[in-house]
Amino acid sequence: MASSPYLLLVPAAVAMGAVALYPLIYSVRASLHHYRFGRDFGSTGLDNYRNVLHDSTFWTAIGTTAKYVGLAVAIETLLGLGLALLVSRELRFGGLIRVGLILPMTIAPVVVGVIWRLMYASDIGLVNPIFSSLGLGSPNVLAHEGSAFLAVVAVDVWEWTPLLFLIILAGLQSLPQEPLEAARVDGAGPVRSFFDHTLPLLRPVLMVAIVLRLIDAVGTFDQIYVLTKGGPGTATQLISTYAYNTAFQFTQYGQAAAMLVSLLAFLLILMAFAVRVTRRAARETAA
Amino acid sequence: MKRHLPRGLTYAGLAAVLLIALFPFWWMLVTSLKRPIDIFAGVSLVPQHITFSNYSRLFGPYHMGQFLRNSLVVVSVAVAISLVVGTLAAYALARFRLRLGLNRNALVVTLLVRMLPPILLVVPIYIVLGKLSLLNSKIGLIIVYTGLNTSFVIWMMQSFLEEIPRDIEEAAMVDGDSRLTALRRVVLPLAAPGLAATAIFSVIATYNDFLIALSLTSTPNAQTVPVGVSTLIGKIQIEWGPMAAAGVVGALPIIFFALMVQRHFVRGLTMGAVK
Repeated sequence: MASSPYLLLVPAAVAMGAVALYPLIYSVRASLHHYRFGRDFGSTGLDNYRNVLHDSTFWTAIGTTAKYVGLAVAIETLLGLGLALLVSRELRFGGLIRVGLILPMTIAPVVVGVIWRLMYASDIGLVNPIFSSLGLGSPNVLAHEGSAFLAVVAVDVWEWTPLLFLIILAGLQSLPQEPLEAARVDGAGPVRSFFDHTLPLLRPVLMVAIVLRLIDAVGTFDQIYVLTKGGPGTATQLISTYAYNTAFQFTQYGQAAAMLVSLLAFLLILMAFAVRVTRRAARETAA
Repeated sequence: MKRHLPRGLTYAGLAAVLLIALFPFWWMLVTSLKRPIDIFAGVSLVPQHITFSNYSRLFGPYHMGQFLRNSLVVVSVAVAISLVVGTLAAYALARFRLRLGLNRNALVVTLLVRMLPPILLVVPIYIVLGKLSLLNSKIGLIIVYTGLNTSFVIWMMQSFLEEIPRDIEEAAMVDGDSRLTALRRVVLPLAAPGLAATAIFSVIATYNDFLIALSLTSTPNAQTVPVGVSTLIGKIQIEWGPMAAAGVVGALPIIFFALMVQRHFVRGLTMGAVK
């Protein structure tokens, strides 16, 4: 019996090792090899990394990803926080509202893409008629660089604001009431008491929500693939779509692996941070 | 109780938010029920002549039935295996003091695996599965999904199992049950709601995956629903009707499952950090 708990862990370790750990190690190896038309032509040292560093499209994709993630997560956090404060306590139809709001983030991101293809379409969509009825002309939203970028950010906001809202709401509802009551008795207004009490108490939960969303957003792929395939031009080309094209359209596995290893290095820092805030929040809400 | 805003205003604001969240679904449904000529005949928020021809084309020349069958097989097998494998590991982590700080470190590893964006994994997995001749096969997808989902199961089940008092299974073991029998007869029934929620979250996540299935499959023999939906786009002329119908069919099972677990939603999405 003494060794059995370790035996219980073995199948899980094998399963996760095979599809997560081993591929990551294999990526590092592939990033040091030269592939042409999908065939391995042996080691090339750091050539792939050098090529990636000198590839301006790669840097454009990094910049676009950073803008996309920053803008989307910032808007989602502010909207989610605003909504959660609006609802905060006991509310009728609470269940209905929750059900309605989880739908955008639960359905497959591919379906989210389809839904917004249908909304944005210049000939059969709804966004154009809405814009023109507001006197804003009828832009073909996905066909122009600036508007296409904002359009895919808007889709991200539509899809993921509910996540921030639900997490923050759960956080708000588990806050201790005494400090808020005390502040109110002391005559603090709602704005003061929000910044002095609610926000600091909410911080652990808020951090979890933001960090998890950040990591997830960096990997955004599905909606972009369905909506714009990274276009027009490179206006919505994220690191994920660029790496995908490099690997599966141009069969440059080595170069794609070099990009992904670089991305992994960056993400690991973010993930280590995520692990810390998640564990801390779990401890604090459990206590 | 603080009330900074009048009730009416709060409800009006929420109604607007719900409308924005749900209206695009309605637009997809309406488009899927329109005849092609009506789709192009200007804005109308209800179908003038309801037709199911988009759906019959979807299941005919567009292989949707095949995609659904593939998804059903791949998702159910992968989720079933990962539930068994993951729950056993979660039990070990929740109930035993392990050496090497495993209780803590193993959870950190599962969390990291869970957070990895699929794009980081698909290129090496594609190369390796190619060498094993497992590309474009349901088995290949099952292997990948099983491994990835195991991390989620461990994380969720560990937190559910820790909430079950130890005394109960210890009593069962005093009565002569082995540990695994006690787990099966006593602990799992108590953890059933958590297990069900974990299973449903796993189904949703696995069914929804697009990038992995897109990279590893190439024909309707193995392609899953999201990949099937995407094949309706990207042609020179988009078939709006069947595409909308595909979106509806792709979303329906998930909407059904989401309603079942909505109470556990926050916990599932934050890896149990917020309950």
